Amino acid sequence: MFSRNHRSRVTVARGSALEMEFKRGRFRLSLFSDQPEDTELQRKLDHEIRMREGACKLLAACSQREQALEATKSLLVCNSRILSYMGELQRRKEAQVLGKTGRRPSDSSSPAERSPCRGRVCISDLRIPLMWKDTEYFKNKGDLHRWAVFLLLQLGEHIQDTEMILVDRTLTDISFQNNMLFTEVGPDFELRLELYGACVEEEGALAGAPKRLATKLSSSLGRSSGRRVRASLDSAGGSGSSPILLPTPAVGGPRYHLLAHTTLTLAAVQDGFRTHDLTLASHEENPAWLPLYGSVCCRLAAQPLCMTQPTASGTLRVQQAGEMRNWARVHGVLKGTNLFCYRQPEDADTGEEPLLTIAINKETRVRAGELDQAPGRPFTLSVSNRYGDDEVTHTLQTESREALQSWMEALWQLFFDMSQWKQCCDEIMKIETPVPRKPPQALAKQGSLYHEMAIEPLDDIAAVTDILAQREGARLETPPPWLAMFTDQPTLPNPCSPASVAPASAWTHPLPWGRPRTFSLDAVPPDHSPGASRSVAPLPVQRSPRSRGLCSKGPPRTWLQSPV
Amino acid sequence: MSYIPGQPVTAVVQRVEIHKLRQGENLILGFSIGGGIDQDPSQNPFSEDKTDKVNGWDMTMVTHDQARKRLTKRSEEVVRLLVTRQSLQKAVQQSMLS
Repeated sequence: MFSRNHRSRVTVARGSALEMEFKRGRFRLSLFSDQPEDTELQRKLDHEIRMREGACKLLAACSQREQALEATKSLLVCNSRILSYMGELQRRKEAQVLGKTGRRPSDSSSPAERSPCRGRVCISDLRIPLMWKDTEYFKNKGDLHRWAVFLLLQLGEHIQDTEMILVDRTLTDISFQNNMLFTEVGPDFELRLELYGACVEEEGALAGAPKRLATKLSSSLGRSSGRRVRASLDSAGGSGSSPILLPTPAVGGPRYHLLAHTTLTLAAVQDGFRTHDLTLASHEENPAWLPLYGSVCCRLAAQPLCMTQPTASGTLRVQQAGEMRNWARVHGVLKGTNLFCYRQPEDADTGEEPLLTIAINKETRVRAGELDQAPGRPFTLSVSNRYGDDEVTHTLQTESREALQSWMEALWQLFFDMSQWKQCCDEIMKIETPVPRKPPQALAKQGSLYHEMAIEPLDDIAAVTDILAQREGARLETPPPWLAMFTDQPTLPNPCSPASVAPASAWTHPLPWGRPRTFSLDAVPPDHSPGASRSVAPLPVQRSPRSRGLCSKGPPRTWLQSPV
Repeated sequence: MSYIPGQPVTAVVQRVEIHKLRQGENLILGFSIGGGIDQDPSQNPFSEDKTDKVNGWDMTMVTHDQARKRLTKRSEEVVRLLVTRQSLQKAVQQSMLS
């Protein structure tokens, strides 16, 4: 009765009108069958559905709050991916149908509108500052109130998530060590960042939230995700895949709330750290509300393919400087903002220095042919660059008219790419390949920023001495008097609690770009031997506190904190 | 032996140099400071880093507001701090033992 094209999900009834149309050659079956990219997307969708089933089972089996938080996070990420893949599949099907019907296959495509090359976008070193107010210290005096947060990043249909981090009031920033790479990105990309948070303590334990609100929060979907679910259910009906039913969340299970979001585009890309504004999405009534400073700091780098891969190559003859008649034969490679002319084709791979390098950038002018044509040398193109007041022109001869055409085409495409990718084409931005993330380990209590920083012996001598002291059991002599500044005050049980001055991204020029780090004991200045101690001269006694506030008031009662 | 506030003291310090970040029209350091001579030290939830000098300005006897002003000067792009912390003493001892 039905013939099924096993490569696609389309079934065509025998003898049907549609089959007759195929036989008449009016439509191609491939119009309705999946493109290879679609099967890849379908496979990813099936994978996410399976992952989601697994996450649901895990969530049901969780006994500890922190495990439940991880499982809920996986569930949320799977759901988001499912929605986005389904939306993308739908969009592609629509584009196929709209694009191909009404146009006969024999039509040659019109001269293609130039489209910019793809690239890779990498976001790393994400840091979100927090702004604790004085009142925080008076709330929940007994236990430390804790939150679980993570970031969801979406570019096109690709969604990536960071690890989950536990936050309490001793942290001054939320720092994610992840480094996320998106490929096949166009210069018009939009990278959406969403920060989700949940209380680590049971939401029911919150004194403030009225019961009605608490149950409503735990049994309903958030507004924006609800809207998306409805939209996807409406549009997914025709795709033929099984309808997605979102599971009812376990009663009392953790609930993540959207705390903030922002969208980054090409304008935000820079080879360095930048701070961007966050749109805050929740308010103090929300149980998962965190006092966010309102910005996010990160490094967003982009590598367009035209910068990292050769866009054209072939044999050229280049006019040597000062020699009118002798044109050297070279192997030209157009890559990034340079045209490299190598003696041999193999030199490009072996790393030999090219004979000549011609810069090709936004200011370069390229002309084909006749104006600069040397007599008897057809198929030339000239490349002119201006250096200060001088103009330097190189004339290159290609092998044939077709070769000239294809070189010109490659150059025009490069100029177009440079105009689209803008600052990304000035210099290649380095992108580190992200290491595969370790699966979330048994969640020990995460302490401070200091715990999360890697210890490298060359840099942090203090950390090494800590380790050595523990191992060798080195005993301290009588502590010097100034240490009393630290011990006379109530300390947190964890001796390595974070600084009241948490380090920001410190740029010190001797080091190549790396993660923010603090230096101990001055490895840098030449007049200072590492490991030696420095003492401060006795403080000038003549500085007396201003009488304005200090003597007349009683003992100070506040502990102010300010961002600087 | 204890430390008497207001009296001179000798301590082991560490030099930290920070370049400010640009945020809109402002230059920010990106962290927060707490305390000051006009603040109640028993309410300090942290017990690490204490700042002795900022760009040459003495910080040992300043109010919270004065400290904040010294760190947020618009004209300075780089802030050089002298800080002291508990773990420096151990580091010194270890280096003296070896």
